[in-house]
Amino acid sequence: MSKPQGASMYESAKKIYPREITGRFASLSKLATIVLLGLFYLVPWLQWDGHQAILFDLPARKFYLLGLTLWPQDFPYLALLLIIAALSLFFFTALAGRLWCGFACPQTVWTEAFIWMEQFTEGTRSQRMKLDKAPWSWDKLRRKGSKQFLWITFSMWTGFTFVGYFTPVRELGLDILAFDVGGWTLFWGLFYGFATYGNAGYMREQVCKYMCPYARFQSAMFDKDTLIISYDEARGEPRGSRKRSEDPKEKGLGDCIDCQLCVQVCPTGIDIRDGLQYECIACAACIDACDSIMDKMNYPRGLVRYTTEHSLKHETVRVLRPRTLVYATLLLVLIGLLITSMATRTPVILDVIRDRNTLYRELPDGVIENIYTLKIINQSNHARTFAVSVSGVDGIELDGIGDEVAVDGGDVLSVPVRARAPRDNAYGIMDIHFQVKALDDEGVAVSEDSRFLGPTP
Amino acid sequence: MISEEYRGATRWSRNKQAVFTVIWISFLTAAIGTMVFFALFDPVDLTGIFDPDLDIGRDAGYAAGFFFFWALCAVCASLTAFLVRTAPKRNAKRRPK
Repeated sequence: MSKPQGASMYESAKKIYPREITGRFASLSKLATIVLLGLFYLVPWLQWDGHQAILFDLPARKFYLLGLTLWPQDFPYLALLLIIAALSLFFFTALAGRLWCGFACPQTVWTEAFIWMEQFTEGTRSQRMKLDKAPWSWDKLRRKGSKQFLWITFSMWTGFTFVGYFTPVRELGLDILAFDVGGWTLFWGLFYGFATYGNAGYMREQVCKYMCPYARFQSAMFDKDTLIISYDEARGEPRGSRKRSEDPKEKGLGDCIDCQLCVQVCPTGIDIRDGLQYECIACAACIDACDSIMDKMNYPRGLVRYTTEHSLKHETVRVLRPRTLVYATLLLVLIGLLITSMATRTPVILDVIRDRNTLYRELPDGVIENIYTLKIINQSNHARTFAVSVSGVDGIELDGIGDEVAVDGGDVLSVPVRARAPRDNAYGIMDIHFQVKALDDEGVAVSEDSRFLGPTP
Repeated sequence: MISEEYRGATRWSRNKQAVFTVIWISFLTAAIGTMVFFALFDPVDLTGIFDPDLDIGRDAGYAAGFFFFWALCAVCASLTAFLVRTAPKRNAKRRPK
């Protein structure tokens, strides 16, 4: 029956049938799944001020985040946001271990939803194992078929929702009903849907074990005060079965009755009693499983529990320690930076492009002329009127553009302008400054530097 | 015993590990690369550089960019994996003559 360890090393993965479990952490994980997936499927349908509340409109190169419209020029915010997300992950890992893996990672959350569908159609763990071993029959076909139907429908809906973050979801819905979806939209919808189907339906824990970089390096953020899920070896060993009426001390046994329930519920198929393993995604299913047994045996709960290495050895646990303090400080600084830079962001951008073809032109009445293209991007959601001016050379003024230009909300105005300066003041290469100022709001103003060329003195 | 079902058997072959890791990690890095690249450049402007008559639209531009990055990262990752895995081991035994 038992193979030598080495011989099975290269065997393909055996399917894991996680056993269903109820308890404190199972409820928490169910709640997390419902909230997170609920948000994912619901958010694209929310409207804000006449547009989709959150829409990464790639075809138009604009991101709508509630009342805010972000442009490709605002990319640093996104980069900062991603760095903050990564640092938060580090911080929470140092503090509380793999909370992310167990409760919030899309892989975990979607796998959980797929397992619900599996349980609904194929039944409990033992029923599923029996069904897989059984020869094909009408019942098996019906159960497997309805599972596939649920999985595929759910995956398609997931892909459709995913695309709905990048193209307006309401129009997309109508397009789908009319069987008139653009090629790339369809492609990405199917792509994401298929990835969900494969990852949550089949790959499951193998993604965490073999493909996830975070699973491999998260231990670098761990120390002896990090919250981990652990089996209390001192209390549990020597393990062994016994009757409820028997006193374990008389039999020379610890509190572990070796019921294997913690192994059966584990979605990654490990035995928590072997110690901390990188395969453990800290979903806490084994805690619920063990607590339910401890309750039945009238033993105190917590043979498998959230604890720390220091606490297991009865040493002091410090939440505040250099590692957490450094992560927290960095995190606060970056969040502060993001908030201040977002708050002081001016919703107008000015680009100045000098005409490359002509250096300068001399006009008959002793005036030097340079040509530029001004791009005024109104990043706010309403139309604005801007005053455009130039400075840097005495007597310089603009021609070809009125004193005031109107730009629609979220629009780009591109105008060619001529800057003219008296010949006496304009020689060589001079720095000039274009300025755009909103008439309705003094604070909305930007300036952009450029060069003004004249004849060599 | 039930845990015997899993013990020691839930492993991917090294080739499978390498293939899936390469695909997945190059996917992630390509996603980052695509994001940064297209935040700076508009695919519509870029196609004009290659061929003024080329008009493929943004959607196709993004997709082309993403698959280009994915392929590039996959080449890089698979060559790295190949070299790391086929390097001579220290203290490797010589093949008997």
